[in-house]
Amino acid sequence: MSDRDIDDQLREVMPRLRRFAQWLTRDASAADDLVQSTLERALTRWGSRRDATALRPWLFAILYRQFLDAKRRSRRYAFMLDHFREGENVTQPSVEREVIAHSVLQAMEHLTPEQRSLLLWVSVEGFSYREVADMLQVPIGTVMSRLSRARQALHRLSSGDAPTPALRLLK
Amino acid sequence: MNTPSEQEIHAYVDGRLADERRQAVEFYLTQNPARGREVRGWQRDAQQLRAALSGVGMPTLNPALDPQRLRQRRSQRLRSRLAMAAVLVLAMGIGGIGGWQVRAQRDVAAEPPMSDALQAYRLFASAKPASFDISSGESGQLQVWLDTRFHGAPRLPDLQQAGFHVVGGRLMAVDTGPAAMVLYEDDAGHAITFYIRPPSARGALPRGQRHDGELIAEYGSRNGYNLAMVSHDDRRDARVARDALPVDI
Repeated sequence: MSDRDIDDQLREVMPRLRRFAQWLTRDASAADDLVQSTLERALTRWGSRRDATALRPWLFAILYRQFLDAKRRSRRYAFMLDHFREGENVTQPSVEREVIAHSVLQAMEHLTPEQRSLLLWVSVEGFSYREVADMLQVPIGTVMSRLSRARQALHRLSSGDAPTPALRLLK
Repeated sequence: MNTPSEQEIHAYVDGRLADERRQAVEFYLTQNPARGREVRGWQRDAQQLRAALSGVGMPTLNPALDPQRLRQRRSQRLRSRLAMAAVLVLAMGIGGIGGWQVRAQRDVAAEPPMSDALQAYRLFASAKPASFDISSGESGQLQVWLDTRFHGAPRLPDLQQAGFHVVGGRLMAVDTGPAAMVLYEDDAGHAITFYIRPPSARGALPRGQRHDGELIAEYGSRNGYNLAMVSHDDRRDARVARDALPVDI
């Protein structure tokens, strides 16, 4: 495959990859830094990718692992860490501000990064349970029980009488 | 009926069950209203999530993230490291055959000709994905790139008829100055390289051929440069490379 074909494939996945990164980091510029390091790693590792592995889950998995690594390596990504602290009143990307009224999206904000990722992968990206198990490197049964907990948590958070965002963030 | 497994419940929520199992799960949920309410709640959440996100739209383009630009930045970073590696490989290659070389220089006053061209092939044509200073499928662009670095460089051979197209070019450093390699590939991923560098102290190189492991180099001189075409020692590739070498004789 020529570089040009590879680039075309990457460009096609890019918008979804960036949306996922925004959901993880909740900050547009931190998200794009994450996407950039993901793409650089993908280009380096392209030769080792098994053909059977679909491109989208492969890239999402790299990005997710980079995100977790970044959280651990606080020194290197200190500027991103500010955005990871749960429950803080962080600056929302404008995209999110537009839709803050959607209580289900608001509820997503309060889930753990893994729960948020699981729900996006399964419900929005349509990844198979097997693909998700490979991405998280856990057995498929573990994916199922984590998915149950994520769905319960989302439902608990989104089914209340959606208070205004400001009230929820301030309490 | 049996209680559906957790996986079946999720597959039901996500619309991934075949009709028969879907009906069975639906029946189970009507028999177990509490579980039914919960699962239908999950289903609504998933629908709302999809609907909400489809209303948001995708992030606007960020040109800094374009793969081609990332590739270029990456190859700029790698260039200095790889140039150093190439010099080291050459040094080790020449050092390793040192004893033989002393005798050879006495006899024919020649190190194995164009061994650097073969090393360049091994380093860059065999490495996937290859990293270039210039990536282009346009022979014209690569010619311009070459001409600005090698005054009076010969025309790049056109291997289209044999099914090979240019992919990219890379600059290197050898002991006599700058060298460059242009990579051609065919659809099957076979690689042929064109290699150019200033002549060594001994001057122009008479046309010749050299086998080295699985590779073969056709070499010669033109316009004051030493040139080589390197390919795998495969009858077809080697013939294409030999016929294309743009030398005088």
